[in-house]
Parts: sequence; C-alpha cells; structure tokens
Amino acid sequence: MIVYLSKRLFMTVLVIAVTSVIAFLLVHLSGDPAAAMAGEGASDADIEAVRATYGFDRPLYVQYLDWAGRVLTGDLGRSTYLRADVTEVLARHMPVTATLGACALGFALALSIPLGVFAALRPNSMIDRFSLWLAVAGQALPSFLFALGLMYLFGVHLRWLPISGSDTWLHFIMPSIALGYYATPAIMRLTRSGMLDVLQSDHVRTARAYGLAPWRVVVRHGLRHAIIPVVSLAAVQLGFMLGGSIVIETIFSLKGIGYLAWESIQRADIEVIQAILLVIAAAYAVLTLLADLLNAALDPRIRIS
Amino acid sequence: MIDMTTPAHDMTAVSMSPGRVALRRALRHGGFWIGGTIILVIVLLAIFAPLITPYDPSIQGLAQRFVPPVWADGGSWQHPLGTDNLGRDHMARMLFGARISLGIGLLTVVISGSIGTAMGICAGYWGGWPDMIINFFITVRLTLPVVLVALVVVALIGSSLWLLILVIGLLLWDRFAIVVRSATQQIAQREYITSARAIGSSTSRILFREILPNITGPLIVVASIEIAHAILLEAALSFLGLGVQPPNVSWGLMVAEAKAQLLFRPWMIAIPGTALVLLVFAINLVGDALRDVTTPEGKA
Amino acid sequence: MPSDTRILSVKGLNVEIPVPGAILRPVRGVSFDVGRGETVAVVGESGCGKSLTALAIMGLLPRQAKVRSEALHLNDESLEAASAKRWRQLRGDRIAMIFQDPMTALDPCYRIGDQMCEILLQHCKMSKSDAIVRSIDLLAKVGIPAPTERLKQYPHQLSGGLRQRVMIAMALLCEPELIIADEPTTALDVTIQAQILRLLRDIQRETNIGLLLITHDLGVVAGMADRIVVMYGGEVVEVGTCDQVLAKPLHPYTEGLVRSIPVPGETQQGETLGYIPGVVPKQVGELVACGFVERCPYAREACRAGAVSLRDAADGRLMRCILPVDGSGRDPAVWFLPEGEDTESTTKNGSI
Repeated sequence: MIVYLSKRLFMTVLVIAVTSVIAFLLVHLSGDPAAAMAGEGASDADIEAVRATYGFDRPLYVQYLDWAGRVLTGDLGRSTYLRADVTEVLARHMPVTATLGACALGFALALSIPLGVFAALRPNSMIDRFSLWLAVAGQALPSFLFALGLMYLFGVHLRWLPISGSDTWLHFIMPSIALGYYATPAIMRLTRSGMLDVLQSDHVRTARAYGLAPWRVVVRHGLRHAIIPVVSLAAVQLGFMLGGSIVIETIFSLKGIGYLAWESIQRADIEVIQAILLVIAAAYAVLTLLADLLNAALDPRIRIS
Repeated sequence: MIDMTTPAHDMTAVSMSPGRVALRRALRHGGFWIGGTIILVIVLLAIFAPLITPYDPSIQGLAQRFVPPVWADGGSWQHPLGTDNLGRDHMARMLFGARISLGIGLLTVVISGSIGTAMGICAGYWGGWPDMIINFFITVRLTLPVVLVALVVVALIGSSLWLLILVIGLLLWDRFAIVVRSATQQIAQREYITSARAIGSSTSRILFREILPNITGPLIVVASIEIAHAILLEAALSFLGLGVQPPNVSWGLMVAEAKAQLLFRPWMIAIPGTALVLLVFAINLVGDALRDVTTPEGKA
Repeated sequence: MPSDTRILSVKGLNVEIPVPGAILRPVRGVSFDVGRGETVAVVGESGCGKSLTALAIMGLLPRQAKVRSEALHLNDESLEAASAKRWRQLRGDRIAMIFQDPMTALDPCYRIGDQMCEILLQHCKMSKSDAIVRSIDLLAKVGIPAPTERLKQYPHQLSGGLRQRVMIAMALLCEPELIIADEPTTALDVTIQAQILRLLRDIQRETNIGLLLITHDLGVVAGMADRIVVMYGGEVVEVGTCDQVLAKPLHPYTEGLVRSIPVPGETQQGETLGYIPGVVPKQVGELVACGFVERCPYAREACRAGAVSLRDAADGRLMRCILPVDGSGRDPAVWFLPEGEDTESTTKNGSI
C-alpha cells in the first residue's frame, strides 16, 4: 500500500512538473511575450525595453528555471495589468470557482446517481430509456448553449434567477447546472452498469435471502459497491469542470479563475496565464491522485490484497 | 445462478466477413438511420450551399438589419431565416457555417486520429518502455485544460483557420491513443501475431496487414466521438471570439454575435444553436450505433 | 407425512425462463415435502435444477423467471400467493438459506457483527445491544472461538470453515423453521466439510428444524439425510429414505451415481469406477421421451414412446422409470463399460 502510494505521488509530481514546462513554453513560444506585453502599437524600442526589463532575452531554460524556482516558493509572479502578485489575485478569485465547481459536481451527482440506480433496478423500462436519452442529448448540448438557454428561460423570461454576478447562492444555481450537466451522462452510465453488476452478486442475493428491506439491499449492499468507481470519475469530472469554467464564468459574469483567465488572455497578462494553466493542471493532477486513493480506501478487494 | 443456454446464433454471421456483418447490423439499427440521415442532409446542404442561397454570408446589408425569420411577424421568404445585426442573411451564414463546422471536424480528426493511432499502436504493440512513456504523455495531455490551452495559443499567435485546425488536432488525440492502445494490446496477444512473427514477417508488415485492419472497428467509433468533440470545441472557441474569425462563418461565432440579442431576438441564438445540437446529436447517434454493431455481444 | 409435522410442502413446482426463441424449463413438476426435524437431501449433478428449485422456494429468482406450482406451502401458508412484503417477512425469519461460497455470500464491506445485527434488527424487535448479545451467543453455538472479537472482523479475515459457520449462525438468528443449505460444503476443504456437516446435524437435532440439503455429493448425503430426492434434467426421478436409495437404487440414474462411488472396504485399488456416459441435456421445450434416455444403459424403444411419469414403488418410494419397481432387470456391470462403448451421448437441441 505504501509502495503504491509513493509511486502515485511520484507520478503526480512528475506530471505537474512536465505540465509546468508545457504551460511555460506555450506562453513564451506563442509569439513574442515582450511584444504581447508591450501591447499593440508599441514601437520596437518599447518592445526591446520590455524584453530587457523582464528578462525575456535570457535563454528559455533559464527563464523557466527561474519561474519554477519562484513557484516552488509560492511566488507565482506578478500581473502586469493588475499590478498585484499573481498569488494574491488567484486567491481572491479562487473561492468563486471552487464554489461553482462544488455545486456543479453536487448537481451532477444528485441527478445522475439516482437515475443510474433506478435505471439499473428496472432495465429497459421507461425510466431506463429516459435516462439513456437524457444522456445522449446531454452530450450533444454544448455548455455555452445550455447556459444561454437557461439564462433566457429562468433569467429573462421567468425572471426567477439572476443572470450575472456572484453575490448570493441564487447566482450559482444556473451556472452550476450549466457546468455540471455535462458530467451527468458519464456518471449515470457508470452507476447504472455498476449497479447492474452488483445486483447480480452473491452478497446481494444473501441480503435478499434474509428479507432485508429493499432500500437496504439496494443502497447498503448494492450502491456501496457500485459507487466506488463513480467516486473516481467524479473527481476527474471535477477536474474537467475547473478547465471548463472559463466559458460559464464569462457568460454569467462570475468572477472566478476562469473569468480571470479570460481577461488575462485578452490582455496578454503572461504571468497570470501561466500561473492559471499551472494551477488548474495541478488541481486536476491532485484530484486524480485523490480519486485513486479514495478508490483504494473504499474498495474492499484492494484492502484484502 | 441461472444456467442459461446460449440462444441460437445468427447463422449468417458464420459465412460473412466481420465488416459485412457490421454493415448489415448497422442497416437494421434505428439510431444509425436517424443519425445518418440528419448528417447526410447537413452535408448535402453544406456542399451545395452556393446553389441553395443567392446571398453571400459576409455581405452586409445595413438596410435590412434584424429581419425576423419567415415564421415571425415581419418576416418574409426573402430571408427565410432572417438577418443578423449587420444585415447578413442567416440562411447563407448557416449553410456556409455548416461547411466550416464539418470541415473543421473532419480535418482535426484526421490530425488527432493519426497522432493518437500511431501512439496507440506503438504503446500496444511494443509494451514496456514505449508503453510507459506514451501513457505518461497521455496523462500529461489529460491534465492540461483543453479549452484554456487552445485559447492561449490562438490568442497569442493570432487566429487563422489553419492554426485553429492544427491546435484542435494536436489537442484531441488522447482518446484515440487510449482506445487504439487497448485494441492493439488485445490483438497483439492473439496467436496469429505470434505465428506471423515466427514465420519471419517484418514488424511493419504485421502492423499494416494484421493489426491495422483489426482495429478499424473501435477506431471508427472513436473517430465519430472525436468529430463531435472537435465541432463542440471549435464552437466554444468561436463563441469566445478566439475561434473562427470573420469573414469566415461558424455556428459558434453566430451564437456569440447573437448573445447581445438574447433578450429580444432569441431566435438569433436558437437557430445556430439548434443546428449545432442536431449535428452533434446525429453524430453521437451514429457513433453509438457503430459501437453497438462492432461489439460482438451486441447491446449491453 | 402427517400435515402437522410438515414444514415445507412443494407440489408441481415449475420454473420457466423465456429466452430469445425458446422457453427454458429447468425445473419441471418437482414435488417433495420436508418435515419437522427431518433432513431431506436433493441430489443431482450440475444443471439438474436443484439450486433453482431452492431459489424458487425462497422466491429469489429474477423477474424474468416464471415460477408456477400447484402448491407451495410453508406451514400451511401458501407461498405462491404471498405478497412481496410477506416474502420479505418470511425470508431470514421463518425460512433461511445457506449458500455455497461464504466468501462471496457475505458482504466484504461490512463487519460480521453488522451483517448479523442487520438481520436481527430487521425481523426481531430487539435493541442493538440485545442483537449483539444474541449474535455472540450464536457464534459461540456454531463453534467459533472468541466470538466477541469475530463480530468486529471482516469476512476476508476469517478462514473458509469459519465463514461457513458464520453463515450457519446467521441462518439461525431468528430461529427459523426451515433451513435450505445449497451445497454448503462444496467450497470447503474436505476436512472442514465433515465438521460443518456434523455441526448442521447437531443443530438440527437440538432445534428440530427442517433441513433441505442441496448437494451433488452422495458422500455428504450418506451421513446426513433422512430422505433423498434425486433430480435429473429438472425432474424428480427418485424418492426414498436414505438407506433405501443408497442400498438399492431404483432409477438407472441413481444406480449410476451410487455405483460411481468407491466403497471403503470393497472397492479394490486399480478397479475402475462406474460412470454415467454423456452430458446433461439442455432443457428446452416439453419432454417427449424419458429425460435420461440418451445416457441410460437400460434404454429401450418404449423409453422413447412418451414422457415418463413418477410411479409408486414399494415402501413409500417413488421412481420415474418404466423398468420393474422391484429392482429386477438391473445389471450393475453396465456401469463399468470400457471407454468408447457408451450409448449415444450427444446432446440434442430442442426437445428430447
């Protein structure tokens, strides 16, 4: 178990390191960072001045190591546009995205797990076919369209919910639904197939043979086993949502990391872009590590071996 | 628990090649017909776009801005789907946008498919170090947020259609690699590969004659999923303004331009939006159908 | 058997499973009784329908399987008319089942104590602490050392024999009237098998419950059963007391089974054991001949004339064969044919 843990940890660190290199290269090789920073209409002299000031004339690997070294000490750089430390800026925007991600995942789980369980209890029935069609339709709907649709229906037409800002919990309802529904088909399908399997197992048969109440059989002895891979999938989906938050946050004007990323991209605020790429990638890597660990902790078969 | 005897086999399956069996089953599959028909219609509309509409999608006609579609008040058959904020005909923009969406979908899949298949075959066939390295690459690729990376590259380099295709193609190869890798592993373990090696066939010969033909099944299924994926990604990027640029048209771009009109003219978003959903839905239907017919056990 | 000592009464039990293009009939017209304090062994090879019979009696077959019977009574209560809720009340409380593989039958995610208390709290109105006390009592009763510690353990921490004892303890929790044991010793080591069987016998003597023992192993039956019900191809082919059936088997299939067991003290080293040629047939459609005809060394034309019904033989025995009921006309040597000389043993699809 310890061996497994340390191997996974090492892998995670390695992956984060490589993605940091990629994030750095992406930003520094996609055109001239000095020119981007100097802005449009800057003269060549201005650009050269920027280049010297920020050290863009040094060899790439030196620049990278410098940046990486600073990151490891917690210094993510400085935003040229906002004139503040990136770390501080990110910390300010993180809570919104974290809330959005958690709510979106919560919505996805609350919708797909019960649907998956009911679909497995009555295969090929109305509810099974309905959830299957919901899954297929859900995958065809891009999140920005769904967001606009929700906005129109609940924000404009019915006026039930606010369409921008992040002041109250009401502001998070539509964005969470728009961000979370895309994970629903995968989670629902996994729950359904896991439940179909476990309901055929011997220990569920024993639970039935002893006349236990149906919900006990299905939930305590069935879902408890089927949910294990779903936990991993949920963690991974959360990672995807962090990356996809940029679209939702811009539509609903939620000032989270995604929104910040969008603005920084438009302003060519290099240090921020780099930092956000790294942070989101690192979050995803940590989430997958957590998913594996949770899997190992919950799965009795791994405990046995 | 229950000792079920296997049901009678489809005797025709014994005498036909797997490809023909799959084709027969596909033709009987409802999803295949529905999805396939929709795709065919859209493809034909895209190909014959200039013949269908007299308008140029980028010609502005400021006199006829915001003409509603023919089914609303004030609409006319002159502009069946209305015009946008710059007086450009919607139907023309939809038809030419179809070209872009389909074109991008196909071209990106060619790129990502080639990359992913090559990596998958290497990892699956040779195993060992190549497998570990390629798995690592896949993990790294999965860790990167695709939308963000695409946005960053396009924003910093400058957007052109070909760059967009290249970027999307270079980002969406992971599922190809994963699926092809496991399919290759399964085939490489089979006996006819060991016997091919035993009689001295060269590696490239084995790869091309034995492995490639046998992975086409899962490969086609993944390709259909990834075409849909690419179209959605391009739509999202265009929506954010960093995808297809004017004078080119994209359905995602049309939605972006119509966003300000959400309040009073929702049909401007609904029309390209519906088309987008319909296209991706149809591709998913066909992909699901292909998956159903290429798995030996049939539907789960 | 007088009805007041009869716990389980099964008459004409049929199980049908529709599959694409056909209807499987793995259980056809099975009838037998189990009395208080009696051990009835249902014997047959894999595929004969004995496990399905047990599951049908418990109401545990999946929805697609159609169970029909003329009568299915537990203590004069009709089971086939019982509602799902009534079934849930009966299972675990009045009638309990012990399964073959205790490793998979117990839930690996929960402790032994949790699984046992769950049953008690469901059926018997008792507090959690009382449930724990009762669980410990029963674990001790089935011979598990250190029962209080065992309660806190997970199934994988126990050996196979201990796990099966736990299953037996679980079955006894609510003092049922009938226990169905489906191959209770098959998954265990030979040495442990004897212990478990002895345990079952002792418990039965003490509590006077009825025991329905499902097994393919005649060796298990010999020391345990009062009566034997032999099944083949979904049908009951012979019924009798244990001594009667083992000493003088009437149905050719039973005869083959008995002859294939080495007898300690009689069978010599190097002697070939008898065997029944062929494999179990598929059970699709109605029978139009004797179910055993393809493998029976005594088969003759009359056997294919039509389905054979169960006949009364002497001393309260039953058999499904057209051969004489007094056992004449048999030749034990037919079971010792050299290789290659067996009768047609190919399985036929569809009706036999």
